Amino acid sequence: MNEILEKLFTCIEFGKINTASPYPPQMRGQEGAMELTKQALDAGIAPSEIMDSALIPAMTRVGQKFTEGQVFVPQMLLSAKAMNAALTHIKPFFQSGEVQRKGTFIIGTVFGDLHDIGKNLVCMMVEGAGWEVVDLGVDASAEKFLAALEEHPGAHVGLSALLTTTMTNMKTIIDKVHETHPEVKFIVGGAPVSAEFAKEIGADGYAADPQDDIKILESFLNA
Amino acid sequence: MHDRVERAFHTYRFPYGEVLPSLDELARYLHMEEDTEHPAYCYMKERLAGLTSSDLEAVGGYAIGTIEGLDLQGGTLTVEGTTFEVGAQVCGYLKEATEAALFLCTAGALFSDEAHALNAQGEFLEAYIIDAIGSLTVERAMDKIHKALEVEQAARGMKITNRYSPGYCNWPLKDQRPLFAFVGENPTGIALSESCLMHPIKSVSGVIGIGTTARRRAYGCVICQNKTCIYRRLVQKG
Repeated sequence: MNEILEKLFTCIEFGKINTASPYPPQMRGQEGAMELTKQALDAGIAPSEIMDSALIPAMTRVGQKFTEGQVFVPQMLLSAKAMNAALTHIKPFFQSGEVQRKGTFIIGTVFGDLHDIGKNLVCMMVEGAGWEVVDLGVDASAEKFLAALEEHPGAHVGLSALLTTTMTNMKTIIDKVHETHPEVKFIVGGAPVSAEFAKEIGADGYAADPQDDIKILESFLNA
Repeated sequence: MHDRVERAFHTYRFPYGEVLPSLDELARYLHMEEDTEHPAYCYMKERLAGLTSSDLEAVGGYAIGTIEGLDLQGGTLTVEGTTFEVGAQVCGYLKEATEAALFLCTAGALFSDEAHALNAQGEFLEAYIIDAIGSLTVERAMDKIHKALEVEQAARGMKITNRYSPGYCNWPLKDQRPLFAFVGENPTGIALSESCLMHPIKSVSGVIGIGTTARRRAYGCVICQNKTCIYRRLVQKG
């Protein structure tokens, strides 16, 4: 791999945002994700290659480490910060069409539920995996999902819930959306949700953690 | 013969300095090692110091009523004319109780307002930390109220149960309405949304059973039946 991309991968993995960031200590004073992304572009590396060879694999590595319990949420969020710093240079290429997103993922915490930490983590990781993420926030109704699907045809949908009493609202949303958009695929997740429950309510996938969301979305691409 | 049951709301106020988590406790909750150079650890330390010196406070309390009915099969609890559909699981935990303390407690709007603003600025790490501080603060305030209730009831020869909340253990969230109606006038300032969510978000509500043979059980994963929960896995790894 190109040396700049290798360094960029390391910056994302360990949360080195820019030169001024004092963390991690062993990288103090060195360039961070922000500067290295700019350097890569200036060196003529295609933005899609920066995404595919450094940013996405680095976030995948972070997601794997989280799944394996090697890192926890704060470390993951620091990596997401570094990723966001890198993306400030890449985002114009999304808009120009030079870099293609893999697709659109609409996500929200279902109505009746205000918990958003898990959902926010999924947003960051899925965006870092190359998807456009439309975050509907918390307490999101079926109507809100339907309106977002009108704006983003072909999108997949993620539903989050943290309460045993609000996870049942997932089925209400899936049923309502499927009335007019039977093709829409749903991934559900959240502390009380299980694979059995996902199947029972007609979801297409159950994600136990953000990495699962990415794997399921990739499987939709290959279906 | 026990004293006559009171329906007044017993209020408790705690300055943040008394109920904020310690740095160690917050670090443990977030699975962080002590690392004075990690931005998350630095922010935790800085924000806790700022909040400790603030003049804000957590407010909570409870209203106690006599249990008139506990239908284990139907999953209902009736306290002085108000019926709660707590579900079979919570009914089981309350079966030795003869009275119920319906409680409310809030850490205030600061935590969720600040987390919301930080998220909007893309400061997800800081938002996550302030949210965690708010969660621990309201639970610590409620722990103190729980303890105060235990002491108060011990003086009457009574024991108490764990606390159980709408939204958990299959107790429907819609029971927030009768719960708030039962509690009545109170100084917490907690409001219910149309979908029965509490504002400020960092608030808790629920019931604690009281009785001569009532007992507290092990908390958390021990009473939860969800074997696939990510938090259970994190706790096991932590």
